[in-house]
Amino acid sequence: MIAVTGRSLHVPGLRPGTALLGWVPEPSCEPEDARELLGRKGLLAKEPATVLALCAVHRALGLEPGSGPRRRDEPVDSRTAVVVSSNLGNLATVCAVTRQAYAGRVREVSPLDAPNVSSNVIASSVAIRFGFAGPNLMVCSGETSGSDALAIAARLLRAGRCRRAIVVGVEPRDEVTEAVFTDQLFDGAACVVLEQLEGDYVIGPVTTARRPRVEQADVVLAAGQGGLDLDRQLGATYGARGVVQAVVATQAVASGTAASVQVLDGGPDTGYRMFTVRREPRR
Amino acid sequence: MALLAQIVVRTCLGDGESTFRRMMAGAVGARPLDGIDADLVNVGAGYQITGTPAPSATELLLQCLAPMAEHSEGSRPVVIGTGLREVRPIERWAVGEGAVDAGCLDFGKDVTAKLPDLWPVTTISNACSASGHALAIAQDMVDSGEAAAVVAAGVDVVAASMLAMIGRVSQTRTARVRPFDTDRTGVLLGDGAAAALVVADDWTGPVVGRLLATGLSCDAFHETAPSEDGIVRAMRDAHRRGGRAAADVDLIVAHGTGTALNDPVELGAIAEVFGTADAGPLVAAGKGAVGHTSGAAALVSLDLAARTLTGDVPAIAGLVRPIAEATGIRLVRSPLRDATVNLVQVNAFGFGGVNAVTLLERIAS
Repeated sequence: MIAVTGRSLHVPGLRPGTALLGWVPEPSCEPEDARELLGRKGLLAKEPATVLALCAVHRALGLEPGSGPRRRDEPVDSRTAVVVSSNLGNLATVCAVTRQAYAGRVREVSPLDAPNVSSNVIASSVAIRFGFAGPNLMVCSGETSGSDALAIAARLLRAGRCRRAIVVGVEPRDEVTEAVFTDQLFDGAACVVLEQLEGDYVIGPVTTARRPRVEQADVVLAAGQGGLDLDRQLGATYGARGVVQAVVATQAVASGTAASVQVLDGGPDTGYRMFTVRREPRR
Repeated sequence: MALLAQIVVRTCLGDGESTFRRMMAGAVGARPLDGIDADLVNVGAGYQITGTPAPSATELLLQCLAPMAEHSEGSRPVVIGTGLREVRPIERWAVGEGAVDAGCLDFGKDVTAKLPDLWPVTTISNACSASGHALAIAQDMVDSGEAAAVVAAGVDVVAASMLAMIGRVSQTRTARVRPFDTDRTGVLLGDGAAAALVVADDWTGPVVGRLLATGLSCDAFHETAPSEDGIVRAMRDAHRRGGRAAADVDLIVAHGTGTALNDPVELGAIAEVFGTADAGPLVAAGKGAVGHTSGAAALVSLDLAARTLTGDVPAIAGLVRPIAEATGIRLVRSPLRDATVNLVQVNAFGFGGVNAVTLLERIAS
């Protein structure tokens, strides 16, 4: 079985007192104040989406505030994989670099932005900062991206490609993402740490279906289909959705709000992804 | 253990058959950059697929995926690897050309609309080794019994933002990609797409070869510079998962981007794993002929690997004077017609230090 052994939600703009299935998350720092959480080092030229993801991972791992990146002389951890989901993460840089080039100023493009034109920069930045040298995947899969990331992480664990998988869902709200997607966009990151062991909170297999199927569970989280839609409180979570749902579901079973939570992700264009988070009875 | 049932590719040199035939003849697909003003991005050439208008990434992908839907008997999962996604419409919008919807970025909706039997669709954006990562996921799905057949695909077309970044850091404009050559000046992007059908052992249709394994690793070292340690780990992961020794490998299709950094680091990793006694595997590379097809590159290289199982191996286009790190490594300098190739290793590395190394083995007839 696959257990959720760490989790976090990092949403700087969340209205104080917002309750997500009964859970009121602790406040989150803005990307520009991230050094309070992440320390001063390793944040140069990082995009907001990358910083949000780093904050979420830092908190899910329960690291001390202000503790910096892995030192270069420490060995890497090749048994930990990173799977990040984001559809819009680096679009602001892509557009900014394109505009500079078309304005005849290619020589003024910052070489520090080079990694940011490749959309997998978020996943590799997590790997570099924390020394996670196992498989590293960036999922940009539209509406179902977050749940697809969870499915990929579970496969990596089952295939023996890693012992632990760090799964992140993140979307940034900025001028570009508001224009190309929606001005009601989520702005934050969520992280779950998955391990193949007998834990208290178990995440079931991610299944797929062309039509939505709601199963037996105390609570259903879903965008539409009659379930509780977290996007109403958080904005359009888009590529972060599946991971945000997994965090809120785990929090609900951990606090006793529900014994099991079913998550339904996706839509008619892409089909649906479903998984259940449940509390494992004490043996 | 999985089998490779079919692979379909599209490069600037045509389909897989045409690309290989022209590679054997020493063809180079580089031409003056089309569609994006060379002076704006400071890149003068590309390995582009021509057309009026030039095909989009989605169009190239659908061409390669169409044959994969045949005999799919319901739903066949697809994992698409891409470096840049369908980002050109967003770039055009950014400079005031047309409207845009972020839903175009991944390929899921278009694939499902045009080829409904290929479903569910997952798009991963793993830089220049994206389709190697897609291949690993596809094989894991088949090996675990999750699906009897899975399509791994890859696609990219040149994008202005990536060209601008290449142009920004270039000293001189590169005319062609010259893997492992002393006088190499850097990489050029190519348009490309590919799709591979990965099936379980009990497949009864035609088979290209045995897909032993794809090893994965991340350098966790630097955002853009490669690391020998990370690459070595991916190679050893492939050998371990595939149950083969380094000495069993007859030929490597190298990543070979012709950049200052990649080439010596890749050869260093090959030297570490295979030795430098001129007794290791042959080393070939395709990017001199078809450019760097980014997200499609691993599968474009896999198609080349599959075709070398017949004994034909093209020379590395653009290689004249090998770099010092090639000492003791058997770079393919002229086309071979009767090489003994039973086991091929395909290298694919990407920005962010994401590495995928695949082993493909000939099935004795």
